Amino acid sequence: MSRSTSRRIGGQGLWVWPPVVFVLVLVVVPLVYIGLFSVGLRSNIPGTKTAFDLSNWKDFLFGENNPFRNLFWHSLLITVLVSVAVTIAAYPLAYFLSFVARKNRYTLLLLVLAPFFTSFLLRVIAWQIILNENGVVNSFLWWAHLRPEGDSVTWLIYSNFSVALVLFYSWIPFVALPMFVVMENMDRRLLEAAEDLGASRLTSFLKVTLPLSIPGIIAGFVFVLIPTTGEFITPLLVGGPESQLFGNQINSFFNDSPDWNYGSVLAMTLILLVLILMLVFGRFLSADLRRPAAEVS
Amino acid sequence: MTGRLGSSLLWVYFVLMVAFLFLPLAILVLFAFNSGTTPTLPIEGFTTKWFTDAFSNTDLTSALVRSAAIGVLASVVATALGIMAAIGLNAKRVPGEPVAIGALLLPLVVPYISLAVGMLILLQALKFKNALWEIALGHAVIALPFALLVILPRLRSLDGSLNEAARDLGASDFAAFRLVTFPLLLPALLSSFIICFSTSFDEFAIASFLYPSGQPTYPVFLYGGARSPAILPQLIAIGTLVIVISLLIVGLSELGRRWAERRIEGRNSASVDVSSADNLATT
Repeated sequence: MSRSTSRRIGGQGLWVWPPVVFVLVLVVVPLVYIGLFSVGLRSNIPGTKTAFDLSNWKDFLFGENNPFRNLFWHSLLITVLVSVAVTIAAYPLAYFLSFVARKNRYTLLLLVLAPFFTSFLLRVIAWQIILNENGVVNSFLWWAHLRPEGDSVTWLIYSNFSVALVLFYSWIPFVALPMFVVMENMDRRLLEAAEDLGASRLTSFLKVTLPLSIPGIIAGFVFVLIPTTGEFITPLLVGGPESQLFGNQINSFFNDSPDWNYGSVLAMTLILLVLILMLVFGRFLSADLRRPAAEVS
Repeated sequence: MTGRLGSSLLWVYFVLMVAFLFLPLAILVLFAFNSGTTPTLPIEGFTTKWFTDAFSNTDLTSALVRSAAIGVLASVVATALGIMAAIGLNAKRVPGEPVAIGALLLPLVVPYISLAVGMLILLQALKFKNALWEIALGHAVIALPFALLVILPRLRSLDGSLNEAARDLGASDFAAFRLVTFPLLLPALLSSFIICFSTSFDEFAIASFLYPSGQPTYPVFLYGGARSPAILPQLIAIGTLVIVISLLIVGLSELGRRWAERRIEGRNSASVDVSSADNLATT
């Protein structure tokens, strides 16, 4: 390689830096500010004396029966349960697309993904219309005389049920995708070998297909877990006072009852949680840009 | 590999799941044309009143225009930065590659609520007033990873010798990019633009913290309106339009993909013919 070409290639590599700086300014700097607010080094109230102060962190982490820490665990439990449910429900979909619907699988995959490409907010509002106290389900029950007029099923909306249902609904398509990709890349000869060697369909599924699809299962699980940890729109629209998530608490610390310093402790906790999840599960996610990524289309 | 019973069960499961996934969309379409003033059963009658009402509601239409403008600006910025990042990562040597990749993918994992309050804090520290262009930049940064993930595989699949040939024929780096690489990238840039635009058009968290008072974006307006029964039917009507347009774009891109696939297959079979002819000639 001549000197001039190597210099040119070095120059091309430098193109990566303007977008990186853009991300640093618009994402990393805001995160640093959240950190500064969480330890009291900055304040949104002009004229307040600021000094390094860990009292908010101490209160959140160790305060006896701290309501925000309780909410954190409660939210995490709901998100993990929803993610598990979504993963279990999406697996047969991916399996169907990859192993049963061979010929039209990309078209059928698109049918599953299509709702995901429409507005998330509109779909949540649609569920609100369906589950409302005088919404589609209840008004149907009254119309069909299955329940006395005006007597609505109360747990349908503003409950943990409605929040979990809408989150479950929203993420199924997205979770089916990584599983489908893993199944498509599976070496089908292994399955043929298992059957040739006398394994029953169930055995070859349990001993070959399922273990080989574990990377897809984990990727799918993380694909829903990470975005739902900060979820706050769904509980705002279909959740009640008892079914608000951790993200809603952050939202209200910066809106209704402003305490940006305490709110920053919670916002920072959420970021640390996601970073930990990425450290644990990151290697199962295929967004590795160093080697040519497997085509997902 | 799957028995006949298993296949049938999986077909049933698939059909039920697709029905479940489309149910809320169907409900919106149904009530967009229902003459009743509340979205409840039974359906009262057919009307297009809500559409005319919606289009004469200037609060709603100006929110739509704001979101469209923000969406265009965000997609142009994200796609332009996505091209730069892809060209950079496609080079043989990238200074500080692991840091660059980590930074470029970071917006994918940072929870939007944390990002939104972080941006609010930053703007307050800089003494900036809330503004629509700030929302557009916020949307550009969350859309950037999508742009990169669409553009980079396409750039990698291009034949590098085309670019080299252009430069051997005397084109400058920029001319080679403009005349050769850019046109070949166009399909990916179009996908990138569509994905970035729909990300921005639907984004609520950042917009809800950064919108200037009295100038809500479409999702912020939608959120407020979902609580007021008087304008809910109009929101359902516009929502139906938005959903139909999104589904049309998804459908058209699938048709485009099939068309491109058929063309590539055609070309491959042609090249197979040529090579087999060569084989014949040599034997």
